[in-house]
Amino acid sequence: MKRKTTDTISIIVFLLPALILFFGILVLPMVLSGYYSLFEWNGVGDMKFINFGNFKEMFTSDLVPMKAGLLHALLLAGLSVGIQLPLSLGLALMLGRGIKGERFFLSINFLPVLISTVVIGKLWSAIYTPKGMLNNLLRSLGIIGEKNILWTNDGKNGKLLLACIIPMLWQYVGYHMLLMYAGVKSVAPELREAAKIDGATTWQVDRHVVIPSMKQVLKVSVIFAVTGSLKAYDLISILGGNKNSSAAVPSTLLMNQMFDANRVGMGSAIAVIMIILCFAFAVLINFLFRERD
Amino acid sequence: MKKILATLLVVAMVLSLAACGDKNNTTNNSSNNTPAGAVDMTKSCSLTMWCIAVETDSNRASYEHAIADMKAKYPNIDFKWEATQNDDYKPKIKAAFQADAVSDIFFTWSCAFLGEFVKAGKVYCLDEAYKEFADKIDMGRMCKNTTYDGKKYGVPLTMNIVALFANMDILKSVGYDDVPATYEDLLKCCEALKAKNIIPFGCAAAADQTWCVTEYVEPIIEKACGAKVLDDIFAGNASWDNADVAKAVNIFQDMINKGYFDPDGAGLNNDTVKNNFIAGDYAFYMNGSWNCADFAKVDGLNVKVSEFPVIDASKSKLGQLIGGPSDTLAVWNGSKNAAVAAKYTLEMGQLLSKYGYLDGCGLPAWKVDYDISNINPLTKKVAEIVNNSDYMVLFGDTAMKAEDADKYLKEIAKVYGGEVNGTTFTSDLKNSIR
Repeated sequence: MKRKTTDTISIIVFLLPALILFFGILVLPMVLSGYYSLFEWNGVGDMKFINFGNFKEMFTSDLVPMKAGLLHALLLAGLSVGIQLPLSLGLALMLGRGIKGERFFLSINFLPVLISTVVIGKLWSAIYTPKGMLNNLLRSLGIIGEKNILWTNDGKNGKLLLACIIPMLWQYVGYHMLLMYAGVKSVAPELREAAKIDGATTWQVDRHVVIPSMKQVLKVSVIFAVTGSLKAYDLISILGGNKNSSAAVPSTLLMNQMFDANRVGMGSAIAVIMIILCFAFAVLINFLFRERD
Repeated sequence: MKKILATLLVVAMVLSLAACGDKNNTTNNSSNNTPAGAVDMTKSCSLTMWCIAVETDSNRASYEHAIADMKAKYPNIDFKWEATQNDDYKPKIKAAFQADAVSDIFFTWSCAFLGEFVKAGKVYCLDEAYKEFADKIDMGRMCKNTTYDGKKYGVPLTMNIVALFANMDILKSVGYDDVPATYEDLLKCCEALKAKNIIPFGCAAAADQTWCVTEYVEPIIEKACGAKVLDDIFAGNASWDNADVAKAVNIFQDMINKGYFDPDGAGLNNDTVKNNFIAGDYAFYMNGSWNCADFAKVDGLNVKVSEFPVIDASKSKLGQLIGGPSDTLAVWNGSKNAAVAAKYTLEMGQLLSKYGYLDGCGLPAWKVDYDISNINPLTKKVAEIVNNSDYMVLFGDTAMKAEDADKYLKEIAKVYGGEVNGTTFTSDLKNSIR
C-alpha cells in the first residue's frame, strides 16, 4: 500500500513540470482566447462584454471576411489532399523502389522544407513581380501580351490566391513525401516479393500491398495537410499581406484584426474558430480512417 | 534514495521555472509623481529603447549619432536599444503593451497610435519634464499631435510632409522647365509625357503598400476640398459622407484610368517604385519628404520638389499640406526609471531632430540652433514649403485610430484597383467607421 502511494506521488511529481508547461502554454492561452473573444477590446484599454458579438460579426459583416477566409482555407486543404498528397505519394513510391540516385532525389525534394518560408516567400515574390520571371516566361511562350499579370495584387484583376497556393503546395510536397517514404520503406520486402512471384506488376504491388500497409502514415499526412491548411499564414502574409481579402485565410484575418485594427476580441474569436476547426478535422479524419480499418 | 533525489530534482526544476517570472512587471507608479526638476541624472541606472531605425532605415545614422552623444553625456546610464522593422514593430509594441513588458523608452507614431496607449494609462506624462525645455520647441505646433486632455505624452522627432518629386530631365524632354504649378498644367504635362510613352506617376500598391496610395489620394482630396474638411473627417468631427470628397476620389481614379500611373504599380512595393523613379522610369513620384536625402545622394539625378497643385481654388490653396510631426518617442509608465527616462528622451529627441534634419530625413520638430548650410537643397525646399504653409493635416492612417485606419486603407486599395468609385468609397467609410 505504502509502495503504491509512493509510486503515485512519484508519477505526479514527474508529470508536474510537463503538465505545468502543457497548461501554461497550450490550455491557458486557449481558455484566455475563448474569454477575450466575448469582449470588444483593443488590447490595452477597457474591455466591453459583447457576448457572441464578435462571432456574429465575422459571419455577417464584410469588414471581417471570415466566410471567404474559411472558404480559402478549405480550398487549400482540398488542394493539399487532392494534389499535394498524391504527388508526395507518387514520389515516395517511386523513390521507395530503390531507383538510382534515390538519396539525391530524396534530398532535392526535401530541400524546400528546409528553406525558411520567409526566404521562399521572397523568392516567389521575385518570380511574381510584374517584370519578373513568370510573366517573362508566359510572354515568351506567347500566352500573355504586352500587359503584365499582377500576381500579387489584391484587386479584382489580381491573381493573389493562385499565386499563394502554388508555392504552398510546392513547399510541402517534400515533407509529406518524406513521411510516406518512411512508410513505403517500412513495408516488408517479403510481401513485395511474394506479390511479384504471384505475377503482380509494380503498380499492382504498390496499389494492393504497399499503400494499404501505410494507412497510418497516410492518415498522419492527411491530418497535417488539412490542419496545416487551416492554419496557413506565412506565405500568404508575405505575398499578399494581412489586409488582403482575395486570399484571406483565418490566420491573416486574425493578425489583421489583432494587430492592424487593434481588435483583440475579434482576433481571439477567429483563433477560437481556428482551434475548433483544427480539432474537428483531426477527429473527423481519425474517424474516417478508423472506419475503413 | 534515487526516488528522493529525483523528486528533489523535479521540485528544483519547478521552482526554477517559477523563478523565471518577472518581478519587475508591476507598474511603478510612485516614480510618476517625481517632478522632473528633482531628477538625478547622475545616478547609475539602465534604460532600454525600442525603435524602428533598423540598419536600412534612413534615420539609422541620426539614431547612432544621437545615442553616441547621449552615452558620452551620461556614462552612468547603461543604455541599450533595439530596432525592429516598421511593419513588425507595430504588432510588437502592441503585444508588449498587452503583456506590460515594454522598453523604458519606445518609438511611436503620434495621434491615434500613441493615443490608445495613453488612454489605457500606459504612457508616462511628460508635462513636468517639458518645463526645462519650454524655450527649445514650439509646443503649440509640434506637441499638438501628442497632447491628450491637455497633457503631453510624446517627444516629437522629425516632421515630414507629402511632397511631389519631379524628374526635371524628363520634364524638360516634354518642354517643361519647372514643375507644373497648376492642376490643369499638370494634366497637360501628363498628356505630353504619355504621348512620349513616359509614365507620369509611379505609385506602389502591392500588398500592405496602400499607404503609398494615400500619399496621392490625401493631397488630391485636400487640394480639391480644403484642408479643414479632410482634417475634420480624420479627427472624427465630420462624416465621410461628403460629395466633394467623392468627387476628389473620382479625380484620382480618372488619372489612373487615363494611364497616368504605372499599370504595374499594383504589383510593386515602394522600394521598387522609388528605384524606378530614380532610374528615370517615371516623371513624378509623390511620397514623404523623408526621401529628399536619398534623392539628393544620387549623382546626376535632377529632381525638384514641390507640393501638389490646387484643384479647386475656391476651397483650397497652396500651403495646405499633408503631414506634420508624427515620429515620436515616449516613456512607458511602468518603467522603473520613468523620470530619468523622460529627461533622457527629451534630450535625445532634440538630438534626433537635429541629426535627422542634417541628414535630410525630415524637418526638425525642435528649434534650430546649429549650422544648416550643408543641408541638401531638396530638404531646404521642403523646409521652405512648410514655412509657407498655413494648414497641415496629419497622414490619415496616423490620425485615425487603428480600427478605422485599417478600414480606410482597405477602402483606399479598392479605389486604386477600381473596385469602388468615389461615391461608394465615401458611403462605405461612412457606414463602417463608427
